[in-house]
Amino acid sequence: MKPPLLRSPDGLVAGVCGGLAVHLGVQLRVVRVLMVLLALAGGAGVFLYAWLWIFVPMASDRVAAPLRFAPAALKTPPPPALFLPAATALPSPAAPHPPAASAEPGNAAPPVAGAFEPAPRRTGGRFRPGRKELLLGVALLLLAGVFTAQELGFAVSLRQVLPVAAAGVGAVLAWSQLDDARREGLRNKAGADRAAGLARLLLGLVLVMVGVLVMVSGTISWDLTWATLLATGAVLAGVALVLAPWALRFWKDFEDERAGRVREAARAEIAAHLHDSVLQTLALIQNRAGSEQDVVRLARAQERELRHWLYSDPAGHSGNLTERLRALAGEVEDSYGHPVEVVAVGDAPLTAGQEALAQAAREAIVNAAKHAGGTVSVYLEAGPSGSEAFIRDRGPGFDPLAVPADRLGIRESITTRMQRHGGTATIRSGPDGTEVRLSMPEQENRSHD
Amino acid sequence: MTDEPVPNNLPPSVSVVVVDDHAIFRSGLRSDLDSRIRVVGEAATVEEAVAVVRARRPDVVLLDVHLPGGRGGGGAEVIAGCGDLGATTRFLALSVSDSAEDVVAVIRAGARGYVTKTISGAGISDAVFRIASGDAVFSPRLAGFVLDAFGTAAVASTGTELDRLSARELEVMRLIARGYSYKEVAKELFISVKTVETHVSAVLRKLQLSSRHELTRWAAERRLL
Repeated sequence: MKPPLLRSPDGLVAGVCGGLAVHLGVQLRVVRVLMVLLALAGGAGVFLYAWLWIFVPMASDRVAAPLRFAPAALKTPPPPALFLPAATALPSPAAPHPPAASAEPGNAAPPVAGAFEPAPRRTGGRFRPGRKELLLGVALLLLAGVFTAQELGFAVSLRQVLPVAAAGVGAVLAWSQLDDARREGLRNKAGADRAAGLARLLLGLVLVMVGVLVMVSGTISWDLTWATLLATGAVLAGVALVLAPWALRFWKDFEDERAGRVREAARAEIAAHLHDSVLQTLALIQNRAGSEQDVVRLARAQERELRHWLYSDPAGHSGNLTERLRALAGEVEDSYGHPVEVVAVGDAPLTAGQEALAQAAREAIVNAAKHAGGTVSVYLEAGPSGSEAFIRDRGPGFDPLAVPADRLGIRESITTRMQRHGGTATIRSGPDGTEVRLSMPEQENRSHD
Repeated sequence: MTDEPVPNNLPPSVSVVVVDDHAIFRSGLRSDLDSRIRVVGEAATVEEAVAVVRARRPDVVLLDVHLPGGRGGGGAEVIAGCGDLGATTRFLALSVSDSAEDVVAVIRAGARGYVTKTISGAGISDAVFRIASGDAVFSPRLAGFVLDAFGTAAVASTGTELDRLSARELEVMRLIARGYSYKEVAKELFISVKTVETHVSAVLRKLQLSSRHELTRWAAERRLL
C-alpha cells in the first residue's frame, strides 16, 4: 500500500517534491529534476507544482489528527520521512529517521540532507541555516544565466526579467503565508507571528503589483496605466464588498470547525488516557481479585496517577520540591503497599539541598513503611527561607540511639545527608509512633552542584 | 483521628443522612458506620438531598462534594438550600477530590468539616460524633489547605481578625497537617483537647467568614493540593 500523498513539512519551497517522492517511492532528486525539466517545458512543471501545493495537505496537518488513539491507524506504518516531529504533533512512536537520508557530498541537485532531517523547531527565522544560502545561490545562478545569454547574443533585457522575477517572488511569499496560516491556525491562536506574517503578505502583494505594473507599462502609456489602475481598484473594491458576507460566513464556519476539532482532540486524548490507565488497572484488579494487597496497591497507584493527571497544573511545577517529594512518596507506596499521605504547603525550586531533603524524606518514609506499617503522614512546608518535612508513622517506635552502628539507613541516608547540605534531622520516637523532622535552610549563594 | 476516644458529652445516638450519587458507596458507608449512628435517609441528587434533609432533620449530613442535579453547585448547593435549618443540622463534606476549589467552596457554604472518602469506618464515625457535638473536623489535607491559603507566617495581632491565623492556631494547624490527632495536638502543646477544638472551630470560622480575597483567588489558582 502506498503512503498517502502529503507534503513534507521540510521541503525547499512547499514540500511538494518530497511528498511526491515518498508517495511514488522514487528518489527525491529524481522528482526534483523531473519537476525542473517540466518547468522548462513551457512552465508545465510550475503549474503542476502550484496545483499540488494548493491541493495536497501538509503532513503536519494530518499528524494533528488523534493518531495515538486509533490503534488501527498504526497498523500501516506512516512514511517515516513525512511524520517528522512537527512542533506540536504527538510524538509519533513509529518514526525512525532513515539513516540513508544523510547527505551525499558532491551532489549538484538540491541537497537531500536537511530535507529529511528532523526539523529543529522553527521559532525564530523561517529559513533554516543553509536554505538562505541556497536561495541566494539560485538567484546568482539565474543572474549568471541571464548575463551568459546576453554575452551569447540573446537580447535579454533587464526590463523583461525583473518584473517577472518580482511577480514570482511576490507570489511565493504570499503563498507561503497561506501555508503557514493553515499550519498555525491549527496549532495556536496566540498569533505571536502575526506581524511577521502580515509583513510577508504585504511585501508579496506589493512585489506582485509592481511586477505586473512594470510589465504592463512596457507596452502602454503611463496615463492609460493610471486610469486602468484606478478602474481595477474600483472593481476590486466592489468585488470585496460583494464577497464580504460570504467571506465572513466562511471564516465563521472555519472557526466553528476548528473549535469542534479541538474538542474532538481533547475528548480523544481523555479517552486514550483513560484507556491506557484506568481500564488497564480495572482489568488488572479483576485478575488479582484474590489478593487484597495487590488490589489495594493497584488502586492506590492508579488513583495517584489519575489525580496527578487531573489536578496538576499545566504551567508545570515539575522540577520543584513538592512534585519531587510526591513522586518519591508514590514510589515507596508502590513498593511497600502502605498508603503515604502527602500534605504540602508552598513550594520551592529543587536545589541540591532540597533534593537532599527529598531523598532523606524518602528514606524516612521507607523506614516508616517497612517497620511501622499503616498510613504514613508526610507534611512538607516549603518557602523562600527553607523547607521542613515531617514524616510520621504510628508504629511501636524505637530508640534512635539503640540502632546498631552497622545499620546505615538512618545515620547515613538521613542524618548525615542532611548535615552535609547544611540541614538538620531530628528523630522522635515513642509508643505512639515515630516522627522524623527534616529541616533544610535555603542557601542563596549555593550553586546547583 | 482514628484512635481517639469519642468525646464524653455525646448524645446517645446520632441521626445522619447520607448524600452521595453512588449507591455502592452509600451502602458501604452505612455498614461501616458505628452502631450508635442511625442512618435515617439517603439521597443521590441535590434536589433529593434538600428534600430528605428537610423532612428528616438529621443531626449530621454526610455530604458528597460532587453531586448531580440542581444548578450544578453540588454539595455547596445542598447546604445553601438547607440554610434555614440553623445549627441543629450540621454538614460533613466527603470527597474524592483534592481540588482546593471544591473544598473551599463547600466549607465556605457552611460545612463543619471535610474528609476524604478513603477514611476508615471508625474514622468517619468519630468525625460524625465530633460534628454532632458542635466541633469542626479537619483532616491533614484540609489543614494543609488552610496553611496554604492563610500563609504560614501571617499572625493575627488580635483574636478577632478574620484574615489571619493566630500563632496558636497556626501551631494547631501545622500539627494536624503533620497527621496528629486532636489528643496528640493537645499533648504536644500542653493544652486540653477542648482548647484544641476551640482553636480548630475558630479556624473554621475564619475560613468561612474571611473576606480575604486571596482565599478564593488562591483556590482557583492552586488546583493541585
